[in-house]
Amino acid sequence: MRELNIFVYEWKHFSRNPFKVVALLLFVLASVYGLHNGANLYNEQTSEIDKINQQATEGRQQYLAYYDEGKKGPDNRPWIDLSTPFWAVWYSEIYHFKTPSPALVYSVGQAEQYGFYKRVSFRASPYDADMTKEIANPERLQTGTLDFTFALLFLLPLLLLILLYNLKSAEAEQGFLQLIEVQVASKNTWLLSRIAFYVVLLFIVIIALLVYGAILTPVFSSAFTAFSQMLLYSVLYLFLWSTIFYFILRSGTSIMGNTLKMAGVWLLLSFIVPGTVHQWISLVKPVNLMTDFIDVKRDQRQELFQQPDSITKSQLNTLFPEIVDSPVANDDSKSNFAMNRSFAALENELTKKSIASIEADNNEKNGLVKSTFWFNPVVFFQNHFNSIAESHYDDYQDYRREIQKLIDTQVSTMVLDVWHDVKVDKEKYMEYSNKLSRLP
Amino acid sequence: MWQIIKNEWKFLLRNRALIGISLVFILILAASVYLGSLQSKNQTQQYESAKDHVRKQWESIDAMNPHSAAHYGTYVFKPSNLLSSLDDGVNSVTGNVLRVEGHVQNEMVHSEASQMQTVSKFGKLKGSLILQYILPLLLVFLAFHSVSSEKQSGRLKLLVLQGAQPSSIVWAKTISVWLYGIGLLTLTVLVYALFNPQNISAEVLSRTISFYLSYALFYFIVSGLTVFFSARWQNSTIALTSMLGIWILWSIFLPNIILTSVEKLHELPSRNAFQAAMKEDRSKGIDGHNPSDERAKGLKQQVLQEYGVDSLSQLPINFDGIRMQADEEYGNKVWDKHFGNVREVYARQKQSYQFAGIINPFISLQNASMGFTASDNLHHQEFLLQVENYRRSFIKQLNDKHAYGGSKTGDWGWKADNAFFKSVPDYEYQPASLASVFPYYLTDLLFLSGWTLLVSLLLILGTKKMRVI
Repeated sequence: MRELNIFVYEWKHFSRNPFKVVALLLFVLASVYGLHNGANLYNEQTSEIDKINQQATEGRQQYLAYYDEGKKGPDNRPWIDLSTPFWAVWYSEIYHFKTPSPALVYSVGQAEQYGFYKRVSFRASPYDADMTKEIANPERLQTGTLDFTFALLFLLPLLLLILLYNLKSAEAEQGFLQLIEVQVASKNTWLLSRIAFYVVLLFIVIIALLVYGAILTPVFSSAFTAFSQMLLYSVLYLFLWSTIFYFILRSGTSIMGNTLKMAGVWLLLSFIVPGTVHQWISLVKPVNLMTDFIDVKRDQRQELFQQPDSITKSQLNTLFPEIVDSPVANDDSKSNFAMNRSFAALENELTKKSIASIEADNNEKNGLVKSTFWFNPVVFFQNHFNSIAESHYDDYQDYRREIQKLIDTQVSTMVLDVWHDVKVDKEKYMEYSNKLSRLP
Repeated sequence: MWQIIKNEWKFLLRNRALIGISLVFILILAASVYLGSLQSKNQTQQYESAKDHVRKQWESIDAMNPHSAAHYGTYVFKPSNLLSSLDDGVNSVTGNVLRVEGHVQNEMVHSEASQMQTVSKFGKLKGSLILQYILPLLLVFLAFHSVSSEKQSGRLKLLVLQGAQPSSIVWAKTISVWLYGIGLLTLTVLVYALFNPQNISAEVLSRTISFYLSYALFYFIVSGLTVFFSARWQNSTIALTSMLGIWILWSIFLPNIILTSVEKLHELPSRNAFQAAMKEDRSKGIDGHNPSDERAKGLKQQVLQEYGVDSLSQLPINFDGIRMQADEEYGNKVWDKHFGNVREVYARQKQSYQFAGIINPFISLQNASMGFTASDNLHHQEFLLQVENYRRSFIKQLNDKHAYGGSKTGDWGWKADNAFFKSVPDYEYQPASLASVFPYYLTDLLFLSGWTLLVSLLLILGTKKMRVI
């Protein structure tokens, strides 16, 4: 009953303080704005994917028409022959997408750092230039989008600071803290109950905001787990800051001292610790200028073309034992041509090797970031929110792996069919389109 | 007034907590500048090594057809800027590698931000992180009770009775707090100079002075406004919470909201639309790789006429090289149009964002800081333009060699020798001079000065009727 009275008293205290009410409203406004930014990005990406799918379908229709018209390809490109597996696979118009999760409404995360669609071909790689981000203002990217998690991670602690800064210390400075002490069973319980009021208030606000976000994108129908995880981690984050501030308020008796300490902890955990970790990682593992990848894409590729045919043939036989006794392998007039067409497979192997080292390097960086999570809670929560919204580095890494699998399928399909002298007709082209767009 | 300032400083120096905080702050500042410089040096070494690696590969081309060499191409890496140890700006999101090749203007790829999970929303621990976000907050904490505490203790009344003008007291308080900020700012710049003595030039010096001036103005705005609130309101807590609210609005809330809105106001094309539009425009021009292309046939007639011959075999030059260069020149018009549009949108976005300095001087500070340390988008675009100009001259040299180097049309087996490839100059970045970009940042300096004037007026007019008790 006494706790309920404290809640009622605190409600009056809160509602009569315009500064605190405005701060809460500003937080709600920023969060709603952030949710709309997330929803906009979700809608933009979904609509862009639809457009590209439409373009790919139109492209395929155009190539299918060549089969109907008995043509080998476009008139102005006489070297194209769609009846061969090489060109038919090349023009199969396969795109792979990183379909946005409806939970993107909550956390834009790293979604703006990477591309979300990719035309897959047997000459492609998951680190091609077209895997880069959408065209965006770098200064805006650097500042970051104000999404819901930004409000949660950086503004929620500030809001809590504004709501709690004068708790207990105001009474202490006005000289009636001792009077309160005789009225309540425990000073700490009294303080805890007052803090609990604001925690409950913010908990309700967070639930309302999460539900509002879920209305903007189909979170409830397609990503309900994400909703519950967001709720869980948001509440944990709220508890983290409430606990830190509780201990500060418990130990301090001056408004200025408490505010200074609360703001100090916020600055430390939001700016200084993440900034220091970032700087440290940049020193230990500097940005990768991708020279290994460049070497593969250029010099090692050139060397492949210059190596003796016997080596190329042996490398191809190792990669695809099925071609050893294929019809083209036994036909000298065709095997050289087939070998030239199959270089993409060897290039793909080289690229995969160089990618492995890039990814190992990136994984080391990620390992370093993770090793700091125990003293870097804001970044820990940030990355958790990104994971829930499928906008984390790992989600884009998975997307890259999927692309590589599709490239591998294209390479093996093209090489095997070239060596088996497959003639591509309309049905075969359609079969390619279906087979090559499915993840193995 | 100087006496009051002196007394203020004596009072500040007696405060052990402040001395403790200041020492920690100085350590963090020095560490941030040192680590920033170290990172810049590491990055420069890495850049030099990658640049040498790629150049050696180019120079080791024994013999190659010039057009094959145009496809082989080269790579340009974004060099680290010395002043970026103070403010990293957009460097971590812009990418670091740019492929230079025939037929296409590429975009920069492989940004640092894309190589790992999220680490810091506000960037690395650079001087700018501390000077922009944390130092102003420290000034607020120093200033918020500077006048109100004097009122509460009755000292203000005593000072007025002794003949001090209330406005002089307020100015003295402002200057005292401002000088504290200036001291730390000066220290940052000195530490920077200490770690990079060999790199100090007139250009670096003028950029650092402009950087210094921008921060000095901003610190005056923050100090003055906080002292003003402290003087106007009886309760120092209201002064503190008001300034905290303003700080949150200025530093966290508004830059993010305004930049996002500006990007919506001046919309950039999607990558797919951008590529499709360029492909469409490109398809209307000459196709260098397709001799049966109608426009290529037209060019052929023109060249045959020019040389007074009837067939390509009679030409003393290689028409393939001329066709490739014509393809390139048409392509350049297309890239100029589309990349130019994107640059224009960036410029409009920047301009609109700069104008937001009217309501938020922090935005002006951020723009000026990035601009004067040459790490903003304007400098990045300037770098991209230089690389594109290099690409055009690089490819032209290769196409000219193809056309006039001694081969005949259709002779794709003809190769230029190693001496030629060695003679093609490497890309050398020419950093934009401050004089050439200074006008872009006048808006920011103007708004910072305007805010300084406004705060000065507030201090003069707003404290005239200040209650001394």
